[in-house]
Amino acid sequence: MALLRLEGIGKRYRQGEVEVEALHDINLSVTEGEFAALVGPSGSGKTTLLNIIGGLDSPSSGSVHLNDTAITRLSEAELSDFRLFQLGFIFQAYNLVPVLSALENVELVMVMQGRPLHERRERAEHYLELVGLTAMMHRRPSALSGGQQQRVAVARALAAGPRLVLADEPTANLDSENATALLDIMHRLSHEEKTTFIFSTHDPRVMERAERIITLRDGQVESDETVATPHHAS
Amino acid sequence: MNERQQSRLPMRVLFSLAWRNIWRHRRRTVITLSSIAIGFGLAVLSIGIGDGSHNSMIRNAIKLGEGHLTVQPRGYLEAPANYKYIAAGGSLATQLAALQINGSVQPRISLQVLASTASNSVGAVVEGVSAADDPRTEMLRPMLLEGEWLQAGDERGLLIGYGMARKLKAKLGSKLVVMAGKQGGDSQAQLGRVRGIFDSHMDELDDFLILSDLSFARVFLEGEGAEVAQQPVTRFAIFLDNEEQLAHWKQRLQESIDQSALVALDWREMMPQLVQFIVIDDAGNYVFLLLILMLVVFGIVNTVLMSVLERTREFGLLRALGMGRYHLLWLVFCESLLLSLLAVVIGWLVGGGLHLWFSRHGIDFSAMMAEGTTIMGTFMDPVVFTELSAERVIQLTVIIFGATLASGIYPAIKAARVTPVAALRT
Ligand SMILES: Nc1ncnc2c1ncn2[C@@H]1O[C@H](COP(=O)(O)OP(=O)(O)OP(=O)(O)O)[C@@H](O)[C@H]1O
Ligand SMILES: [Mg+2]
Repeated sequence: MALLRLEGIGKRYRQGEVEVEALHDINLSVTEGEFAALVGPSGSGKTTLLNIIGGLDSPSSGSVHLNDTAITRLSEAELSDFRLFQLGFIFQAYNLVPVLSALENVELVMVMQGRPLHERRERAEHYLELVGLTAMMHRRPSALSGGQQQRVAVARALAAGPRLVLADEPTANLDSENATALLDIMHRLSHEEKTTFIFSTHDPRVMERAERIITLRDGQVESDETVATPHHAS
Repeated sequence: MNERQQSRLPMRVLFSLAWRNIWRHRRRTVITLSSIAIGFGLAVLSIGIGDGSHNSMIRNAIKLGEGHLTVQPRGYLEAPANYKYIAAGGSLATQLAALQINGSVQPRISLQVLASTASNSVGAVVEGVSAADDPRTEMLRPMLLEGEWLQAGDERGLLIGYGMARKLKAKLGSKLVVMAGKQGGDSQAQLGRVRGIFDSHMDELDDFLILSDLSFARVFLEGEGAEVAQQPVTRFAIFLDNEEQLAHWKQRLQESIDQSALVALDWREMMPQLVQFIVIDDAGNYVFLLLILMLVVFGIVNTVLMSVLERTREFGLLRALGMGRYHLLWLVFCESLLLSLLAVVIGWLVGGGLHLWFSRHGIDFSAMMAEGTTIMGTFMDPVVFTELSAERVIQLTVIIFGATLASGIYPAIKAARVTPVAALRT
């Protein structure tokens, strides 16, 4: 059964007189454990689609279901809690709270989830180890490189135990070496943790790591292909 | 999982986040806090000076005037007249003594008179006092320019002010004819002698006051029909050792006196002009306090709002991660709360420090007020010791804390309004 189902998603923005159709009749379904890339030229609607899946934005038409939950029917407060317990987010940059250490950043979401201290500490340390940052977990974001910061964001997203992780251009601010390293970590964890990832990217080398590539153009799905043998780092 | 999972943000985490956030811009926070602290310190000082000088005026007015509490004939305050007196002064004195008031009870006779010498006549007030131990003695004795103080039982002796002496061309030993109208329309007169001349620098006293022993003044009451044997007086002035007990003793007095003929009044009722003067003078201090509050509010709003606007992206991130609107609102409000707490604490350290120093060492205003030390028939000691009552401390704390908290509301709402999509796009 599909983890995520999008049915007839449309999104129109009004800018003064002009109406922009950012998304038009998107139908997709994603099964559990998929590692999918959302690609397409700038302005094709990748961010808009990820925001709608993540309940950060609402579609003009259509519905989004994650398992049994109709995300598009949730109230704003329900959506907030839904994101906290069901979803993980990795953004392009400024993912971390600057006044908290790497460890505290990873823990913060679990604090809000109400997990007990020992459990969240254990999980935070575990996931920071998985992304290779044990030695730096007490550093604040300003003392970490861009690549390290993104790895903290990955650890945070996974430590909270989400059903689906959404990442909008997580590598856009990284050089290609760091970008491929981050993708390898994400890919590995996706397998080990059986966590579903959907990430958008421009970068061909990042795309290479995806198991499924959904291409958007002018707000519509242009192609949707499953890659037989994705490049695997480890 | 039918039960909806809800986000949580424990107080400890909330405050620790808020605390770290206010120190993100150390410099800005320090500048805000120090401006608040200095402003608040000055406000405390100026209010302390105001209260100190007013209280000094009040204490002097009470000593020069009719005491903390006064028992006198009903209607005297509204329309003073020589025929309004307490005929049985002796028995009332006994009755008052039985109350065992912590302080002293002074019999007094007030008369409106015309005082004349061969050269001139002036309207005056005779105050007959118990020459030996009346608090006026303590106040005016050091102000004696020449001559000497009244002796108990001196039936002729008078003390007059410097102003009156000049108008009447009276000298030490001069004869003074003191004349008073009677209720029927006749008049009565007595001859007195100037035993001393005082200079209080207060025109109200120097130009109009004639001090005498009770025995001199009592003759006039006799002329109004009183019996000397009953020790008639115009009033009893009551001086309390502890002014905090004013309300208590006023109550006790009211219960014990014959309320149809007598009233017990406190100094506020006896000297309404002085009270009014203080209220008006206080207004100046409140204006200053208001300016300080505006500075405080502006400082906090500015600091917190600036940091909110800078953190739009971060708030968007937190909201995306699942932090609820109200938690974000609380977080920013807590930042204001902590800033307020710090401001109040530091403000009190500065203000309290200034107050402690000046309450002990005083501020010498004598250079500034060569003349202006006397107001409303009383005077202000030239060296003012700041005073700060517990009520003032509470009042000022509540006002500044309230103002700073109120200034946290707008930034908090502003933060809670951030929508993740818009914030993350920036
Ligand atoms: N708030 C908005 N108001 C108006 N138009 C918008 C808004 N957000 C997005 N759009 C429009 O919707 C379309 C899709 O934008 P979107 O940001 O989803 O593209 P994208 O694929 O993420 O692009 P990029 O690769 O540059 O990030 C664009 O034409 C964009 O101009
Ligand atoms: Mg985008």
